Order: sequence, then C-alpha cells, then structure tokens
Amino acid sequence: MPMPKNTKKPAKDWYRLDLSAIVYPTLQRRDFSSVYRISVLLKDTIQPDVLQRAADIALKRFPTYKVAMRKGLFWRYLEPNDRPGPFVQKDIRNFCMPMSFKGNNRYMIRLYYYDRRISLEAHHSLGDGTGGMYLLQTIAAVYLKLLGHPIPAQYYVMDTDHAPDEEEFEDAYMRYANASVCPDRPSEKTYRVRGTREPSHTFNVIDGILSVQETMAVAKRYQATITEYLNAVLLYALLQKQEHDFHIRLRPVRIAMPVNLRRFFPSRTLRNFITMVYPSIDPRLGDYTFEEIVTHVHNYMRYYINEKFLRGDITTNAATKRNPFIRIVPLFIKDFVVRLFYTRVQDKNSSAGLTNMGALKVPDEMKPFIERFDIYMGMPYSQRTNCAIISYEDILTINFASCIIEADVERRFFKKLVEDGIHVKIESNRSFEEE
Amino acid sequence: MSYCVNCGVELEASLERCPLCNTPVINPNEVTHTNAVPPFPKEKGQVEVVKSKDLALLLSISLTATAVVCGSLNLLVFSQSAWSLYVIGACLVLWVLAIPAVIYTRLPIYFCLLFDGLSIGLYQYLISFNTKSHVWFYELAMPLTLLATAIALLFALLYKKVSRSFLMIGLYFFSCLALLCAGIELLIERFFETPFRLTWSAIVLSICVVIDIALITILSRARLRNAVRRRLHF
Repeated sequence: MPMPKNTKKPAKDWYRLDLSAIVYPTLQRRDFSSVYRISVLLKDTIQPDVLQRAADIALKRFPTYKVAMRKGLFWRYLEPNDRPGPFVQKDIRNFCMPMSFKGNNRYMIRLYYYDRRISLEAHHSLGDGTGGMYLLQTIAAVYLKLLGHPIPAQYYVMDTDHAPDEEEFEDAYMRYANASVCPDRPSEKTYRVRGTREPSHTFNVIDGILSVQETMAVAKRYQATITEYLNAVLLYALLQKQEHDFHIRLRPVRIAMPVNLRRFFPSRTLRNFITMVYPSIDPRLGDYTFEEIVTHVHNYMRYYINEKFLRGDITTNAATKRNPFIRIVPLFIKDFVVRLFYTRVQDKNSSAGLTNMGALKVPDEMKPFIERFDIYMGMPYSQRTNCAIISYEDILTINFASCIIEADVERRFFKKLVEDGIHVKIESNRSFEEE
Repeated sequence: MSYCVNCGVELEASLERCPLCNTPVINPNEVTHTNAVPPFPKEKGQVEVVKSKDLALLLSISLTATAVVCGSLNLLVFSQSAWSLYVIGACLVLWVLAIPAVIYTRLPIYFCLLFDGLSIGLYQYLISFNTKSHVWFYELAMPLTLLATAIALLFALLYKKVSRSFLMIGLYFFSCLALLCAGIELLIERFFETPFRLTWSAIVLSICVVIDIALITILSRARLRNAVRRRLHF
C-alpha cells in the first residue's frame, strides 16, 4: 500500500558534512582544531546580556551552526543541538583555541565579547568565512535592533523572521563538480618556515591596519589588484626569509589561497564552498625582482581563477567522495589515510596561507555603528604563518596568526608595505615577558 | 602615536615593544597610554577538559566485575588461600590511578598523589593477609610508601608553586632522588635492626649533591643560566 504523501517537510534531523568539511575533523588533535575567527569592532562598548539575547534569536535562523558533530560508521555527520547555549563569554588573549567536539555543550561555535568587539569562532566543518560572516553580521544586526536601531536584512544580514532556505544547507560542491576530467593536484615539497614552537595553546597575532585607498593606489602602480599585490608581498617576504635563513637547497615558495566559489557558481549555501589555488615562485629558476613577482602572481590569477579551472578542481576533490570503494571504507581507516595524506602531502604543499574576504558590504543603517572587521584563519596545522585580509570602507585589516615565536615573515611583509609608502598601524596580542 | 624606529610601522598605544622586531618603544612625550583599552584582553583561556564518562563507566564496571568474580570464586570454589586479595587490590589500585585521567579530571594533583599512595598502601596491607605476619607491612612497606608519597607530594608542590623552568625541575628531581634513596636505605636498616650507616645511597647522594651544586651555580648566574637555556632549549 502506498504511503500517504506528507505535505509539510519535516525539520532536518541531521546534515551530511560537505566535501571540505569531511577533512577538518580528521585533523583534530589535542592541540589543534580547524577553528577560524571573525570579529566586528563596534563604536560602543558591548552589553553581554543583550548580545546573548541577540545570539539566541539569530541562531534560530542558522540551523547548520546550532549543531553537534557525530560519528557514523562510514562518515561523520551533524546533528541539531538543543542543549543550552552557546553562551557569550569574555574574550581571551589566546583565542582560536582547540575545540573539542564534546565540550562547550557540543556546540562548535564560540561567541566572545571584549570592550567594543564581538567575535565569532566557528569550526571549519560548519562552514567557510562567508557563512560565518552571515552569522556574525546577523547577530550584530539583531544586537543593534535590540538596542533600538532597526537594521534591514540586506547583504550579509539575514531576516531572522524568515525560515531558512533549503539552498543554504546544500553541499554546493556536488552540484557543480561535473567536469568530465579530473585535473591533477599540485604536489611538490615547498619551503617550510622554521621557527621555535610556542607552548601549546599559545596563539600569536599581529594585525596590520591600512588604508584601502592607499593600498589600491600602490597596487595600481604595479598594475595589480590588492589581492595580487598582497600575495606578491607575502611571496617576497617568504623568499627573502628562505634566502637569509640557513638552507641546504632552495625550494619553491607557494601560498595556499582559498577562493570563494560563490563568485563563479551561484549558490546561497552557508556551508563550505571554497577551493584552493596556489600562486608560487620557484627561486631555483633565478632571482625574481618584486615587480616580476607581482606580474607572475597577476598572470597566475588571471589564468587559473575562472569557472572552467575551478570546476575541474572541485571535480577532482569530489571524485574521492563519490568513489564507491572509498565510501564503504570504515571511518577510522578513512581518518588514518586522510591524516597521513594531509601531513605528508597537503600540508607540505604550501609555505603559508593567505585569504582575502574582500570588501565587506553592510546595510547603510548599520554603517554608523561599525568601525572595522577582523578575520583570522586560525591556528596553522604546522609551523607556519597564516594571513587573512578583510576590508570595510577605507580600513584594510591584515591579520597574521602563527604559533611560533619568530615574526620574521610578518616583519618582512609589513616592511615591504612601508617601503612602498603605505602607512601601517600594528596591533598584537604578543607578550614580551623576559625570561 | 609611536612608530617603530626599525620597521617604520605605527604601533598601537598599549604596545611596549614592536611585535615585528622586538624593538622597545620609547616615546618620552607620550606617557598616558596606559589608560587606553588594549586591543586584546590580558586573560588567557583554558581548553575545556572533557570527561570521558563512557570510558570511566566501562573501566569502573570491568574492574568491579573482575574483583567481585574473583572474590566469589575464592570464597566458593578455590578457597585454599586468600588469593583473590591480590586481584581485588590490583583492581583498586588501577581504578585509583585512573581517577585523574578519566573519572574526575579537575582533582588537584596533591589529592591524586595522596590517593595513589593510599591505594598502594592498602594493596600491600591486603597482600600481608597472605603472608605469615603483618610485621613487614608495618615496619617496612608502610614507612617506605609513606616516604615515597611524601617525596612525590614535595616534588609536585615545588613544581606547582616555585618554578617550572627545566633547570629548577632538575634541581628538585635530584634533591628528591637523594632524599628518597637515603630514606630507603635507613628504613631498610631500621627493619633489619642493623646500625644506621649510609652505603649505596651515599654514592647516589654524593652524585646528586654534585649535580645540585652545579645547577645552583648555573641558576644563580643570569648569564650562565641564559647560555644553558639557549643551548639546551627543546
């Protein structure tokens, strides 16, 4: 007998992990989690009780962020979490701390407040920076609304009175991974930054605050965009460091840069939808001048960052998840193999990470309350530096995060900007206690 | 508003050194910056410790079941001697050792060490039921366990309250080792009623004293201390 059709769709009681999200939990260690942070600096001191109410209201609109991680026999999955929380808490110096899946009432997000700043930390399994930005801006908008400043739902601000759309939960990779060929991934050992590891759970941050107009003018001088110019500066800093440090042989310097695929493949997903591109310079071919590096990065970006190449890239990534033999392998074997592959190949594939969220748009009504945004890529898996860039109005923020004592890469990076005539203001959480 | 003389970047008002090159900020015209709110809080966070409830339950049930089954077998079937006391004591010691790891993770280290010492003492007491007399337990085993526990507690106290630099840890370790060896030898001599004289422990004691003197010398001279730390950092 056929079952009667249910007209009303039941609420989702579990979510599959998207293609990127599968990798992050396998890398989980006692001292490492793939946690990123985005912050908004308001113009007035934060009221924690109002912020808690705002978070409770906003999170109802983001069911994929109010979840707990669970293990199945073959894959992990996300389950809606109805435990109390997540609770706003006072900010700490060593943020982006490892996040246990069983701690914090099983929530995989943390909300912090400090003076005028609201910060959201999320595990990368839930979504990428764009998804996190939707949540943070919605929380900030609800917070302002509760303080008596109505903010319309526009750009990254979602309407909390509307039910979430199905498309917001989709694994957009699988929709667009349909190229008929799987191009090879680059896999060559690259230059690794050597440094003295800080004790566990120490997170060193150096923020550079620049003017967008000033940076754009300098980038134009080199006939490049801001992203290309800053990529070139980071490559230049890494090349210089490799040359000055002790080395037996030179290795290529490569940057892992996430690209937001929503720009090329229309999707409203709040989950992960990014892929990596790897601009690189090989010093074994000869000495590169800074102008040559900029030109090289500019050409690389123009050549690789387009819908066709990116579609090929995500098809290669999706091929492993689609393979029926891989799908039936038990989770603990998958974990072992993925971790081995990541440590041996993927992590050695790049010398540093750089992400640019670009110029952020906020509703006009929200502008008078916001000073700037910050983004941190989180603790690097190995000894290296991660750089994240975000801009709002005329403020461009470059946030470096590392877990090593030395700040050579950051110093060379900012020095180059100063040499090019850009005014840089530095903030840091580093402590300088003498031994 | 201060700039780093080395890097040329503007430094946020609360910074006392340039985070890029460690150059100190000296701006005689600006001494009021201490009132400004620094961009990052000073407090450090701790990673939340998750209790492994399932593992604790499994461990407690397995150990209790083993102890009960062995005790019953001893009472009802193989009742020639009180052999089950060995197993029951071992289960108890294992359970107590597992407390800080899986059962109650926030228990202070001093209580953990004290409970460990007590459980080992209890195990020895249970063993003494299978021997001809309890004398060895009261005269030798109990004082030795008390001594070892007291020295472990002293080491933990010094580590927690005084200093955690590896040179200081070395100093505590060799001092405690000397005390332990001398104590063991004296207690053994007391048990066998021989005159108190240090023999083998005198060798350990003298080596530890030499190492301690070297460590104290290194620790008391800043230049030497820094040189050793630089060369031996790990």
